[in-house]
Amino acid sequence: MVNRRGFIKVSCTGVAGLVVARHGMHSVAAQSPQTSVYPIVDIAPLSSIARGAAIPFSYPDERSPALLLRVNEPAAAGVGPNNEIVAYSTLCTHKGCPVSYKPERKLFICPCHWSTFDPVKSGTLVIGQASEALPQINLRVLAGMVQAQGVSGLIYGRYTNIV
Amino acid sequence: MATVPLPPPDAQRFNTVCQFCIVGCGYQVYKWPLGRDGGPAPADNALGVDYRQPLPALSDWISPLMHSQITGRDGRRYNVVIVPDHTCAVNEGLASVRGGGLAQTLYSPERPTKARLSEPLIAVGDTHTPLGWDQATDLGARVIKAVVDRWGADAVGMKFYDHGGGGGGFENNWAIGRFFFSGLGTRTASIHNRPAYNSEIHAAGDAGLAALTNAYLDAQLADTIVIVGANPYETQSNYYLTHMIPNLNGATLKRKRAMFGAEAVERARMIIIDPRRTMTVATAEAAGGKDRVLHLQIEPGADIALLNAIARVVLERRWHDVAFIRERTEWQTFESYQRSTLAVDRPLQEVVNEAARVAGVPASQIRQAAQWIAAPKRDGARRRTLLHYEKGLIWGLKNYENIAALVDLGLLSGNVGKPGTGVSRLGGHQEAYVRPPYPGGRPALNVDEAVRRGEVKCYWIGGCNPVLTTLRAEAMEAALRERGAVVREVLLQTQGKPVGERVTRIVEALKAGGMFILTQDIYMTASARYAHLVLPAAQWGEMNLTSINGERRLRLYQRFMDPPGAAIPDWMIMARFARRLRALYLQDRNPLKANRFLDFDWKGDEDVFIHARYQFKGDGSDAMEGYAGVTYDLLRRLGNNGIQTPTQIVNGVPVGSVRLHEDGRFFTASGRARFIPAPQPWPGYAAQVTRQRARYPFWVNNGRSNHIWQTLYHHQLIPFYSEHNPMPFLEIHAQDAKRLGVASGDLVELSNDVGKVRALAYLSDAVKPGHTFMIFGQPRGAVGDLVSDHVDPTTTIPYYKGAWAAIRRISGAPEIAKTVSFLPQNVAQ
Ligand code: SF4
Ligand code: FES
Repeated sequence: MVNRRGFIKVSCTGVAGLVVARHGMHSVAAQSPQTSVYPIVDIAPLSSIARGAAIPFSYPDERSPALLLRVNEPAAAGVGPNNEIVAYSTLCTHKGCPVSYKPERKLFICPCHWSTFDPVKSGTLVIGQASEALPQINLRVLAGMVQAQGVSGLIYGRYTNIV
Repeated sequence: MATVPLPPPDAQRFNTVCQFCIVGCGYQVYKWPLGRDGGPAPADNALGVDYRQPLPALSDWISPLMHSQITGRDGRRYNVVIVPDHTCAVNEGLASVRGGGLAQTLYSPERPTKARLSEPLIAVGDTHTPLGWDQATDLGARVIKAVVDRWGADAVGMKFYDHGGGGGGFENNWAIGRFFFSGLGTRTASIHNRPAYNSEIHAAGDAGLAALTNAYLDAQLADTIVIVGANPYETQSNYYLTHMIPNLNGATLKRKRAMFGAEAVERARMIIIDPRRTMTVATAEAAGGKDRVLHLQIEPGADIALLNAIARVVLERRWHDVAFIRERTEWQTFESYQRSTLAVDRPLQEVVNEAARVAGVPASQIRQAAQWIAAPKRDGARRRTLLHYEKGLIWGLKNYENIAALVDLGLLSGNVGKPGTGVSRLGGHQEAYVRPPYPGGRPALNVDEAVRRGEVKCYWIGGCNPVLTTLRAEAMEAALRERGAVVREVLLQTQGKPVGERVTRIVEALKAGGMFILTQDIYMTASARYAHLVLPAAQWGEMNLTSINGERRLRLYQRFMDPPGAAIPDWMIMARFARRLRALYLQDRNPLKANRFLDFDWKGDEDVFIHARYQFKGDGSDAMEGYAGVTYDLLRRLGNNGIQTPTQIVNGVPVGSVRLHEDGRFFTASGRARFIPAPQPWPGYAAQVTRQRARYPFWVNNGRSNHIWQTLYHHQLIPFYSEHNPMPFLEIHAQDAKRLGVASGDLVELSNDVGKVRALAYLSDAVKPGHTFMIFGQPRGAVGDLVSDHVDPTTTIPYYKGAWAAIRRISGAPEIAKTVSFLPQNVAQ
């Protein structure tokens, strides 16, 4: 069981190791010369991600809600068939309210001040009052498994993504 | 990995106010040397925030754009973090998309802001080369003097900002006004966004109303909020989100009950008069429900007809405020208003139907708007309605009557000077007007025309960019280029020659149709490229400055860093030129002229602030900007909540004004407000405009948008913003796009009898078929290139919103459009 301290320790020392996260997912802290390293976390088997899928998960730790989407067109930094699979932190980069994905709009919308983000264009702010794109979770596919392996952008509420 | 450094507990801390829009949100600046970052424990950072845990929603989070690094003149490097101030009553800790990036606008030799002007430049051939301040001032002052001595002061034209916020402030405005009006005495003056030196709301002034009558608090208290020709979600964002939205969704009900006791209160309703279904309409509906939001999607030029028809319904139903009209207005103006404007001799039905036809809205909506504005509440109490307007009305078909129609509606319904009411501009930039009186008359001289006709021999452009923002912009650019080229040639030929000889040759060039151009700015703008002398100015954060926001809240924006190189505040530039002109006139043994340039010996920002302060009396008679009795020290103590102007001196102490006209007095000779008669049903289009409409199929509405500030002078250098707006976008309805074979992202060309311009197509249901909307003043395409030179003859205010053009597809999406999302910008749920 990894607690928050555990993550800090791993990230600060750069020590690689196998850690078992909650919900039965396993994550591996990859070796890195940096002071901080991102864990590698299984999200879902590629074969299970149908068109239109929206799968909630947490990354890089359990206090950081994220959403994996399979949109119906190629997306920037997407993986899988036709590069249609992307994932984003779901904390709005304006003031941290939880954004929700509206498939009929193809948009993330924040209920607090209505910032909207485009999952096909790296989470760019379509309109609204945030001053950062929605942080995109970097994905890869390994042995049929879609995995999270990093984050582009700073997650709301943090000064560094690994805390 | 993305990180932001945390300010250490001993970081330097400054109060400031956002440099951008009228709302004037409070911000805190933290500055500390590189390598001395704070830590995540609350005791280890200056914010006192526990960053060991992810912060909960609505905390003081530092987004990456809120941090940047700067280098001082001493070569030392610092981290700077600029975060919204949760103690400020204006924004309560919210940043907007623009304010969130303030830290990116700071000068740094390592970021794109290194493009800042850092030394005076003189034109040499097609480029510019540095020269020192003394030389630049000497040459410029000698040319100005030669022009004044030969052609008179009116041959010196000026186009300067008159605003607050970034690049403005009371300090700079006072020095500019002193130089041009008390010093030179020129009448050939114009304001940053228009071709003359005039009020944009003469009709409100004639009625006796201030431009900004209400407090932002009133938007929390109103029963109905009316928004005419404005889009506050995008362009007055935190006023809208912090004060209007909580009233729409009921969060201010408690406050209303506390204020109004037994009076019936409920969630606010909102009426939005706008040709577009904007994000404001979408978010108002999301917050308040569709049944409490009325969007009148008006046709261009129909404001007068629509507003007067609403007023006519109010009168007919006897919903007008008889007591207010009797006690607070000049009765005879009310009588003529009823006859001329409200057409009481015509049947109501006929007037309403006519307005509905002209405005393209159902008659039922006109009646409903009247009800929401003025019908008594369920307990019989008067409805409290806050009426706001901005450029859709100001830059509409007929400036004077447009404003008159709305002001009259406010007076008719008694909605001014009481909590929850007001008749106010929503505003664009912040305000800070304090100048000696403009020596010209009204209607003011059209300076654009004087430049084109050759009457202006020397043209000084300060902190604005007419090549991108004026009407008939291509013709203005041609005048700067062609008339400027004559002088450029002489500057090249006389390089290295004594200054006296150069000035003699320049005057010859001016006689031959040339024009000497000075620009002072922070960047080499499209207009500055044509200047012969380019003077580098300091910006926000590089000097202390003071301004008021949309509720007249006066604050001190503290200096926290050095300007680049030899750049200095605008007031200092004016003082340099004034002192040089004084010396030159003394050499001429002309003390009369020399003494016009006395009293420019200010030592610091506050000296100018205090000098200007003596324009105000503090006895209740001052204009809305009046800040009698205020000092920097007082403002430092008041922090980001400041004091609301005008101040009155009570027992030797300045006391602010929450709202104006609360005492029932107006700025007229009688002290009573005046109804301003306007023609009905509406005046129709001017001849140029009628011709354009007949020839070209698309109306090109235009204005500002959420992400970017004005001409993008900063934002084009910051990828977060420039990637969103690499070119001007053109909203166009899907039906029209289909007919033209245009898809979102395509490059299109708009053209008409005035000029042409390119834009990126943005398919949108915000606009009706036949309507389009383009952002104005984008560096890669100025809508002014399509705007005719028609101005309201009463006020010299252009009909910027009135351009019609043909549209054709040029190509598919250009490379720079790849970063742009073309998802709809008016969706909130
Ligand atoms: S709303 Fe206006 S003043 Fe406030 S942060 Fe945004 S741009 Fe700045
Ligand atoms: S918290 Fe999401 S828009 Fe403000």
